[in-house]
Amino acid sequence: MSDPGVETAAALRLVACHHCGTTWQGAQDGEACDRCGTRLHARKPDSINRTWAYLVAAAILYLPANLLPVMITKSLLGTQQDTILSGVIYFWVSGAYGLAALIFVASFLVPLFKLTALVLLNITAQRRSSWRQLERAKLYRILEVIGRWSMLDVFVVALLAGLVRIQGFAEITAGVGIAAFGAVVVLTMLASLSFDPRLTWDTGPDALAEEMKMDNEPI
Amino acid sequence: MNDESTRPEPQPPRAAPKVVRRRNWLPSLIWLIPVVAALVGMTLVARILMDRGPEIVLTFKSAEGLEANKTVVRYKDVQIGTVTHIRLATDRSHVRVLVQLKKEASAFTAQDTRFWVVRPRLDTSGISGLGTLLSGAYIGVDAGTSEETSGEFTGLETPPIVTRDDSGRQFLLRARDVGSLDIGSPVYFRRIKVGQVAAYELDPDGHGVTLRVFINAPYEKFVGVNTRFWHASGFDIDLNASGLKVRTQSLITVLIGGIAFQAPDDQNGPVAGENTAFVLASDETTAMKEPDGPSQTMLLYFNQSLRGLSPGAPVDFRGVVIGEVKSIGVEFDRGERAFRMPVVIQVYPDRMRRRSATDPDARISSFQRWQLLVSKGMRAQLRTGNLLTGQVYVAMDFFNDAKPAKLEPNQVPLELPTQPNRLDELQSQVADIARKLNQVPFEEIGADLRKSLASLDKTLNSTEQLARRLNNDVTPEMAAALKDVRQTLRSAEKTIADDAPLQQDLRQTLQEVTRAAGSLRVLTDYLERHPESLIRGKPEDKQK
Amino acid sequence: MKEVPDAIVCEGCDAVYRRVRLRRREVSHCPRCSTELDRHPGDQSARVLPLTVACLILFAIANLFPIVEIELQGLSNETTLAGAVVALSAGGMSPVALLVLATTLLFPLLQLCILFYLLVPMRYERRPAGFGVLVNALVALRPWGMIEVFLLGVLVAIIKLSSMAQVIAGPALWAFVGLTVLLTAVLSFNPRTFWEMAFEPRPGQDG
Repeated sequence: MSDPGVETAAALRLVACHHCGTTWQGAQDGEACDRCGTRLHARKPDSINRTWAYLVAAAILYLPANLLPVMITKSLLGTQQDTILSGVIYFWVSGAYGLAALIFVASFLVPLFKLTALVLLNITAQRRSSWRQLERAKLYRILEVIGRWSMLDVFVVALLAGLVRIQGFAEITAGVGIAAFGAVVVLTMLASLSFDPRLTWDTGPDALAEEMKMDNEPI
Repeated sequence: MNDESTRPEPQPPRAAPKVVRRRNWLPSLIWLIPVVAALVGMTLVARILMDRGPEIVLTFKSAEGLEANKTVVRYKDVQIGTVTHIRLATDRSHVRVLVQLKKEASAFTAQDTRFWVVRPRLDTSGISGLGTLLSGAYIGVDAGTSEETSGEFTGLETPPIVTRDDSGRQFLLRARDVGSLDIGSPVYFRRIKVGQVAAYELDPDGHGVTLRVFINAPYEKFVGVNTRFWHASGFDIDLNASGLKVRTQSLITVLIGGIAFQAPDDQNGPVAGENTAFVLASDETTAMKEPDGPSQTMLLYFNQSLRGLSPGAPVDFRGVVIGEVKSIGVEFDRGERAFRMPVVIQVYPDRMRRRSATDPDARISSFQRWQLLVSKGMRAQLRTGNLLTGQVYVAMDFFNDAKPAKLEPNQVPLELPTQPNRLDELQSQVADIARKLNQVPFEEIGADLRKSLASLDKTLNSTEQLARRLNNDVTPEMAAALKDVRQTLRSAEKTIADDAPLQQDLRQTLQEVTRAAGSLRVLTDYLERHPESLIRGKPEDKQK
Repeated sequence: MKEVPDAIVCEGCDAVYRRVRLRRREVSHCPRCSTELDRHPGDQSARVLPLTVACLILFAIANLFPIVEIELQGLSNETTLAGAVVALSAGGMSPVALLVLATTLLFPLLQLCILFYLLVPMRYERRPAGFGVLVNALVALRPWGMIEVFLLGVLVAIIKLSSMAQVIAGPALWAFVGLTVLLTAVLSFNPRTFWEMAFEPRPGQDG
């Protein structure tokens, strides 16, 4: 729902600097901020396209990240390869329910959630839909907070690989899956950074006209 | 506080309020945090630096089993240092291992400290160092007591047999040769291993060997000044005029040799001090012999064959060995134009006097003593000691019908008169044998033999009859039996035939077995993946 | 361009509001999308510098000493953060190793150093060289420092290992815990305050 009582900076031809927060009037898009020198943009440049690009790449890598082994344990009893999910199952089966839940949430659910949420946000922003704008804004803020926590499994594997290196007894090495997983986390973080939340509020024809002047995303 | 209205033009500026800067406690207090952090960091660093002891260099022939920053130095199983670097010496002949000792281990820089690498090892004292197969090799230390310190040590290639803190005592043994002994050969007391040979070396004059044995605590108190040591290696076989004797200490000694010790009559005497020297006898008997006192060499002339007499044969007086034969020979006496056999014996007069007064009567000289004995009829005679081996010994005895003889006083060696072996002695021996033969009932034996032969004949006859019966009666029966056997075989064939019920049962059983094997494989697979289930059980079991 | 000092724009929905002067501990939100608009810096500017110094010291401890040590059948092994990174790259996972190194060592360290470099002259009310670039870098690095996630990862790894070996915490672990706590306080410092701080002593300007 567009609020008629609220004036947007775009409508008022004001631009705020992303870094120093100063509001400028009469600034050209791409001009350097007088205070801090950052380029001023009304909206993040090419936000929707870039977000799509990052999301597609992350979605492609999500499959190998979960199917390929992330950790290879070599012990006296043989070699064991673990994917993220098999690690969760191992924890569950050995009774560490809390840990299993934690890893499941952090390494499986969160990236999936991020992917679907960003896809949703991007689609609705692209269509200029005004469906549940407040929830979408809150969703974006949630994504910003939880994004970094999916790196959990990468750190676990890194520490285990660095610690368990006892010759002849047990040796843990990282598997290819963890590289894919790390890439997924980085890509989703970049996607989240490149998405402009203000686009969720850019609905209505007048906003459309203003944005066309501002050298932004094509329809 | 939120506001919704906004004006397009900026408002005129208000007067700027007075800014008072308030000095706050809090900012100064907040500096405690970095100060605390800095203190913590510095204590950590200081602790590590202070824990550092001296750095020493060990040289070894090879760095096998050693790893930089991993291999530790252990003393009494306590870690006292770590290997920091391993480098090849410039002339490539050895390896230099840099070790960082802990502060409390700075005493290990004494110059006579010994270092060696503990690896799994198999040597004469047994298998050692097996624990290093799992935990990796480590460097063992034997603390030195020297006052001077050193920074470089040459590592030993094998662990020392005796370390300084092994309590016990070292003794020296002098022997003719090393025999089957080696470093590490055990030393036994009452068949218990109480020590080992630590080292041996040739005497500088080459006339013998000195062995150093180390007796572990608390057994070193059993070594007294009277203790005798002897070679206990292998089998101690003694075959002489008195018979055959076999002795052995333990299987180890059979393999690698060993030493045993004991005091005669267990009279150890006062405890022997460190590095007391003893003589290593070649066997127990030699060791336990009483010291023989002075020996006297004497000469005997025999006119009979010396066959069976060998050097070392005993000189016997009424059953008591008082000496031994030293050598035998042949001489051609020009004067008498006959051969005679000189036998040199060595007599220990003290042995003859063992049961009498302890003090030898010095007033009577040995010559006078012998003269008295000879006048009483003492002569030397050759006697057969062992009918089995034909060994002969020299017997000294009083002979009532001996020809009177005189001793030459200034003869060296003193010549004793001898008594030839009497013929009637030989005769009596032969007569003995003849009598025994007489008593054998030859006639009865002959009669019995005839009877046996007769019955044997009868037996042979009946055997012939038996054979005939076999041919006539038994053979057709056997043929019938064979026919039955063939029938049985045929029916057995039917049973084993393909469609026989037995085969089907068998097949069913095999299938069951295959199924069982399959489930067994599943189990082993599961175990492979979850070895902890052996201990913890399958997870479903927990929920029961 | 002309500055509009009494207007503030919401980063979440682009709405424009009057910039209100906040009192201690006050935070202003956008009424439309509830994104945070502005917060009072409080005493933070005085607190941040000592906390940054403490963070730097703890950072040194956390990286120089081993994090944990495991012991199995008499064999032991310990690792520092750098050791884990090296192990990863030795196993062929160099990009992952680089990622871990960046998010747990490089970026937080950079943030701390930049903060320190900027704050010290600020006490004497001087702007150091490269101020603008550095503050922008600070803002850019903000989402990429992941020490608290690393700490949680360490805890998970410890729990996983404690079932098969004996785990002994090293000094670096405690340093990381302290670092996480202090970093949260340090990095909650709004870089925009820098701009306001820099311009405070300038005469003739309204905040």
